Parts: sequence; structure tokens; C-alpha cells
Amino acid sequence: MFLTRSEYDRGVNTFSPEGRLFQVEYAIEAIKLGSTAIGIQTSEGVVLAVEKRITSPLMEPASVEKIVEIDSHVGCAMSGLIADSRTMVDKARVEAQNHWFTYNEQMSVESVTQAVSTLRLSLEMTTAEKELCRPFGVALLFGGVDVKGPQLYHLDPSGTFFQYDAKAIGSGSEGAQQALEEVYHKSMTLREACKSSLTILKQVMEEKLNATNVELGTATPDKKFRMFTKEEIETLYKRSNNYNSVQTNRNTLWHLVFIK
Amino acid sequence: MNSERPVQQYFSPYTFNGGTVLAVAGEDFSVIAADTRLSQGFAIHTRDSSKDVQTLCGKTNSTVLGCAGFHGDCLTLTKLITARLQMYEHEHGSKMSCPAIAQMLSTVLYYRRFFPYYTYNILAGLDNEGKGCVFSFDPVGSYERETYRAGGSASALLQPLLDNQIGFKNQQGATEVPLTKDKAVFLVKDVFTAAAERDIYTGDAVIISVITKDGVTEEAFPLRRD
Amino acid sequence: MAAIGGTVAQEHCGGFSFENCKRNAILEKMGAKMPTARKTGTTICGIVFKDGVILGADTRATEDTIVADKNCSKIHYIAPNIYCCGAGTAADTEYVTNLISSHIQLHSLSTGRQARIVTALRMLKQLLFRYKGYISAALVLGGVDLNGPTLHTVYPHGSTDKLPYVTMGSGSLAAMSVFESHYKPDMELEDAKKLVRDAIAAGIFNDLGSGSNIDLCVITKEGTQYLRPYDVANEKGVRQGKYLYKRGTTAILTKDVKPIVMEVTETRVEAMEM
Repeated sequence: MFLTRSEYDRGVNTFSPEGRLFQVEYAIEAIKLGSTAIGIQTSEGVVLAVEKRITSPLMEPASVEKIVEIDSHVGCAMSGLIADSRTMVDKARVEAQNHWFTYNEQMSVESVTQAVSTLRLSLEMTTAEKELCRPFGVALLFGGVDVKGPQLYHLDPSGTFFQYDAKAIGSGSEGAQQALEEVYHKSMTLREACKSSLTILKQVMEEKLNATNVELGTATPDKKFRMFTKEEIETLYKRSNNYNSVQTNRNTLWHLVFIK
Repeated sequence: MNSERPVQQYFSPYTFNGGTVLAVAGEDFSVIAADTRLSQGFAIHTRDSSKDVQTLCGKTNSTVLGCAGFHGDCLTLTKLITARLQMYEHEHGSKMSCPAIAQMLSTVLYYRRFFPYYTYNILAGLDNEGKGCVFSFDPVGSYERETYRAGGSASALLQPLLDNQIGFKNQQGATEVPLTKDKAVFLVKDVFTAAAERDIYTGDAVIISVITKDGVTEEAFPLRRD
Repeated sequence: MAAIGGTVAQEHCGGFSFENCKRNAILEKMGAKMPTARKTGTTICGIVFKDGVILGADTRATEDTIVADKNCSKIHYIAPNIYCCGAGTAADTEYVTNLISSHIQLHSLSTGRQARIVTALRMLKQLLFRYKGYISAALVLGGVDLNGPTLHTVYPHGSTDKLPYVTMGSGSLAAMSVFESHYKPDMELEDAKKLVRDAIAAGIFNDLGSGSNIDLCVITKEGTQYLRPYDVANEKGVRQGKYLYKRGTTAILTKDVKPIVMEVTETRVEAMEM
């Protein structure tokens, strides 16, 4: 893939002769170093789940925050350079509030994603003169409910965004995405989706999954966006464990993850 | 006489061009009307100014804005609102609802808190549940959802009549029957006929827009021309 | 006049009372708002035709932007052969014409002759000039006397004109435009009436201070015809709904019955003896 690497991979505003923007491609690669994040959209609501990498037992797990609230009806899960996400989350929050202020209605999930994607473009384009300018090294999953119902959007460092039924990002994304494709069906309940997201996370995580090294949040039409407490994750995890043991394809999934 | 003394010159950026706006909300419809006279001082500029009422949205989810006061500001404001509606549609892929337009109009007006648009605005349409809705504004953006409202030149003449006929105010033991579309329309015609009798800035004709889920129908009704 | 408890309710004899001027000036300086007088933003006019003069007026009186009177009378009587249209502050036109009318009456009684228009004119202009325009009456004075048909305008400061066709008031420009394009000397009565009607109608429709009906006053050597209304320029809109209230709609807040104490006197009627 990187055989044509040359002086063209330095500037974000310089295309290579083959028409590629290497910096953007590298940024997309950077996501694959990040922790895994999963989003599933069902007819009842959206679930966002991420793994937290607790690199030291002395680390405070609660301080790792990879799912954040954008507005009362939208949440955002992230993977990659978390520091980069701050600017974007701020932008999303301001835009959502501004929309409510101006129109007295909640901003649609698509519009939130759109607003953040313009930020990516503007940083790449207009401030290109700046020395340290580079694409954001983070991918985002926006999950929320609006007039169209539960919505899930994925935004990558290039500023491109798509709507998904289910999407995985981060280091385990390839395996997780394949797992999602197998598990997902249109009539999935939110509870099923929550369980599946934990199961799949468990399969792709290097550490053993527990209530402290994952985060989970849902967005539903009645309760809007909310994070699961540690206890809720624990009960959910226990149930999904039992549920999981009867699943036959579990080993094949593990297999998939490791061939990557 | 001391001719050296400085003289302060005044310039008033506003004029009052008259015009009366009126809107009534029903269960599944709303009616908005405005007269077509545009005047200044004792002179009539035009007898068929349809600019007072501006249909804001297309076929679905229609909202109509009635605008009275300084005509220059009415034109600028409606133009700005129309542009903002288009921008919203491009940005969010759907037409703006009437309550959303109301909030936006409020922010647009309050933005000019210290050099206001000299306009009395009334917005009529259907809300997100399909019920008729009317929003009335003051020139600096204070707004409220109401079931009926008169604004502009003859507002003080019309409002008490609406209070009595639609709000059943000061009527003991009156049976409060829900307002039908036909009654709303003839009531609007009658109150404008009455206003034209006494307010010199109201007359010539009234344009009545009826908004339902099927769209907007417009009707012109003649008034006194003196 | 009777003096009641030390204060004297004195009736003025001639001229205005200026006793509150100083007080009002101070009040105004303190921010008090003085009441506005009812103005007849008006169209009035007159023409000389073959047999006499025709005066015309609209019938709207306004208070700021509200129509105060929809059918007021603006053609005032001075003498049987002299009438006067008034524009300006309603009270001023009313009182000035009444005052002159009574003076003219006294004058013709003492001289034993028919009043002349120039006499009324001179009285009016001298009165108005004395008050430096503060009596805001703009008038069209017309009539027929031994000098034939005569038509004048009187401005609030006391200046006057003598012309074959004149207009006054806020609608004067609209009315004059009709005269300027259609007036001819020695017009026939019906043509002249129609022309005055059209001039007033132009004021009614194009001037917001003028409205409602058209009054005419035709003065000839033979006599005076006061036509009120001559024409209704605007038909009143027809109401579509019925606005009758059920009996008992008005709430009774309190009720208090007090018997009227009456002294009953018995009267007996007896037949008179013839």
C-alpha cells in the first residue's frame, strides 16, 4: 500500500501524482491503533460500546471517557487519538445547542455529523498554512434519536461520513465488523444489540472484559441518550455470557480476529 | 442670536407604512390575513401590496408570515427569512416546521435588539402534530404561541372583537363551540370590514390565506377604499 | 353671576381665557402630554358656475389615525346666501363660522340688507389674523350677493384668495387636480355638481384624512340647496356573520334593589258645575 510513499506524504494539502492524500490515509490508519468502538442501530434505539485500555492497575478507569454526550439525544463514541476528539466534540455540542437556540428543536444526528465533518474540512483546508496542521487522528460514531428515529453515523478523519446499521472502529474493527455483519438483523431489539456489542467487544479485546474496562451508552426515543452504570454493565455482561456460551460460532470469531 | 451654537441634526431611519395583520388557529387549520394598503402620512402608496403576507414554505408543511410596520424592514426581513429557510433545507434535508421558523424569527429579531426591525410579525401554520398554530412577535423578538392575534395598525381595534368572538371573553354562559374554517374566514372578513371603517391605515382589500395540511389557499376580499 | 362660597364661576365675555397657559407650559416641560384636538383632515372645495357657487366637502373627522366621526358636517351656515366649508381643528372651524354667522346676522339686521360675502370674509380674516394662526381654521367661503357669485379661501393666518375654483384641506391637492383638468367657466348646474363631486371623491379616495360621503351646497340667486349627502362614495361593507347575543350573556356582578319611597297624594276629580 505504501510503496509510492514519497515527498507527497508530508503536506495535507498536496495530492500525490496518483491522486492520493497520504496524510489523510495515515490518519485513517491511526484509527486502527485505537481501542475498539462499536455502534448498533436498532428500531428501538442505538447502542454505543467502547473498550477502555487500562494500561496500568494504578490508572483510574473512570477517567477514561470514550463515549460522550453531545446533546440530550445524541451520544458519540470515539477511537484513535482521543485528544483530537475534544475539538470535534466541542464543535458538535456547540452546533447542537446553537440549533436548539435558533430553531427550538433538536438537531438531527445527520446534521450533527455534518457539522463536525465541515470542521475537519476547514481545518484541513483553510488553516493549511499552519505548521502543525494535520487531519484529526480520530474516528467518531454518532448515535442518537431524532425525528427519523434511531440513527447511527460514522465519521472518519477524511471528513467522510455514512449512516450504518452497525459499525465497528478501532484496532478490532475488522473482526468486529465481520461479527456485526453476522449478528445484525433488522428486527434486533436494543437489549440484544447491547448484549451483542459486549460479546463482540469481548471477542476482540486483548484484556479480559469486565465492567470497568468497557463503556456503554444508549440513545432511545423515550430516555434519550444515557450511559450505562457499572452495575448495569455487569448484569448485562453476566447475561450475555450465558447467552454467549450457547453460541456455536464463538470460536470461529476468535479465529477471524487473529488472522488479521 | 448666537449662530455659532452647534445644532444637532436628527435623522429618523423609520417610517410607518400601516397595515394590519391577523391570524387565527383552528384545530387542523390556521387562517392569516392582512390588508393590502401601503401608506405614509395621509398618502396611499399602493392599494395592492401583497408583500404584507408572505408564504414561506412550499406545498408541504406551509407557514405564512404576516408583516406590518415599516415596509422597508418588512421586505428585508421576509427576504432574510426566506433565505434562511432555504439554507435550513439544504443543511438539514427537510423543510422547517412552523415552531422552528418561529424560534428562528425570534433570534433574527433579537439580534437587532438595539436597532430593531420596525415590524409587527405574526406567523401562522401547522405544528408538528398537524394542529393549527399562530405565533405573534414584538419588534425585538419576544414571542408567544396563541390561538388568535391581531397586529399592526388596527390591532387595538381587532383584538377585543377576537377576544369576544373566538375567546368567548365577557360572555356569560356562552357555549364554546370549536372554531370552524368557514367561521374563521367570515369572522376575519367582518373584523377587517369593521377596522376599515375606523382606521385610516386599513382598507382597499384583505388577503386571506387558509393553511391546511393540503397547502395554502389565498383569497382577496374588497374593503372600503377611502 | 352667582358667587358660590368665595369662588366665582365667571362666564367669559368675549375672547379666550389664557389663564392655564403658564401652568400648561410648565406641565409640558415636566413631560406631561397635552391632549390633541380633533382635526378634520379634510377635502373641501368650491367652484363658481353659471348661476352661482357650489361648495363641496367630505364627511370624515379624524383623531390621529382613528376615524372619530364618519359623517360630520363641514359646510357651515353663515347667512342664507353665504356658506363656508371648514378644514383644520374641528372646534375652530365650528366656532369661527358660528361667530361670524351671528355677527353677519346682527349686521344685516342693523343695516336691513342682505349680507355680503366680502363682509364675512373681512370679519373672518381679521379674526384669524388677530390670533396669528393659532386658530387653525382653513376655510372656503362662498355665496351669492348683489355682486353675483363669489368664492374665497381663507388661510389660518388670515390671508385670503378670490378665485373661480378653490380647494382646501389635506385632500386639496387631489381635488385641485380634478379642477385643473376639468374646470370650465360658466358651467351648467349638473356638470358643475358632478365636477365638485369628482373633486371631493378624489380627496376621499387618495387622501387618508378624508373619507365617507360627499356633501354639496348649491347657492344661487334663487336660493340655497344643502345636499347632505349628495353622494355616498363608499358603501359600507356588509357583515357576513350575526353578532346577536343570547339573553343573559352579560354577567350581573351585583344586584341591589332599593324601593323608591313615594309620597302618595290622593286626588279626587269632581265634575264642575256648569
